[in-house]
Amino acid sequence: MLTAGLVMIVAIAAAIFAATTRNIVHAIFALAISLGAIALAFLILKSPFVAAMEVLIYIGGISVAMVFAVMLSSVGKSAPSEGMTRRLGAGFAAIAFFAGVAAVLIGADLDGLPVPETSAEAWSVQQIGRDLLDRFNVVFELLSVVLLLAILGAVTIASRNDGHDEASSGNAGAGLGARMPDEMRPGDSAASVNPASPASAAPSASDASRSEEARA
Amino acid sequence: MMLTGWLLFSLALFSIGLYAVLARRNLIAILIGIELMLNGASVNFLAFNAYLSKDPAVGQIAVLFVIGLAAAEAAIALSIILAVYRSRNAIDVAGLDELKG
Repeated sequence: MLTAGLVMIVAIAAAIFAATTRNIVHAIFALAISLGAIALAFLILKSPFVAAMEVLIYIGGISVAMVFAVMLSSVGKSAPSEGMTRRLGAGFAAIAFFAGVAAVLIGADLDGLPVPETSAEAWSVQQIGRDLLDRFNVVFELLSVVLLLAILGAVTIASRNDGHDEASSGNAGAGLGARMPDEMRPGDSAASVNPASPASAAPSASDASRSEEARA
Repeated sequence: MMLTGWLLFSLALFSIGLYAVLARRNLIAILIGIELMLNGASVNFLAFNAYLSKDPAVGQIAVLFVIGLAAAEAAIALSIILAVYRSRNAIDVAGLDELKG
């Protein structure tokens, strides 16, 4: 009980800091702390496997990807300040939403409902795996397709050159990126997936033309 | 800790995320707000799962699906943010009123 309250306080305080601080890097670290506290909350709610996935995917994946996005776009320094009316309006909307739903929740008196009997086996990770590949197999496979499409979409969007020379964006991006460290080049991950042999065996004439492009 | 406490906790997380989405102008800050809202929904799922479910694997699997979709959404959103930054040199939502890249 005490642990649960502590976890909630840490998660909410870190979330408020993440939502209000001007510095975007601080906001990402506060989000990571909040997500860690939420993972502990999942542990208290008897779901250790979900807590592990929360730590792995959210803290280890999404937060780190956000930090990389900030480093690639150098927007941490130039955070614009929001207007006071905008903050007041958003705060009013959020507090009104909280108050309305909280009134419904407290009025519903859910604590009086009987807790159904469940066996220890129903809580096991084995049961999750069995259900995931049996009852929810279609959803599971659909989610894998969604993730594949998300990866392809992310690579396509990020590796697109702005405007000229769409066709050779992959190789040219790798060639330009080595010379222009200031250039945004998230497409390099896509370019480096390509076999390196054509790029390294490319005649130096095309290399020279590329460097001319860079100067132009 | 009873069920209502956990539900209020998830509601607070969701409201904080809602505030971040409405108030912030930085695209990454808006993405942080969306992650907070998704986590509030996940806590809600697991709270009902822990207290009222006869079949506790179902709620956990729902949360796993939410986490997977959040990962896909974050990957797409971050690549869009990088593309926006490349074309406009800023990630302020105030100037983003055209569809053409």
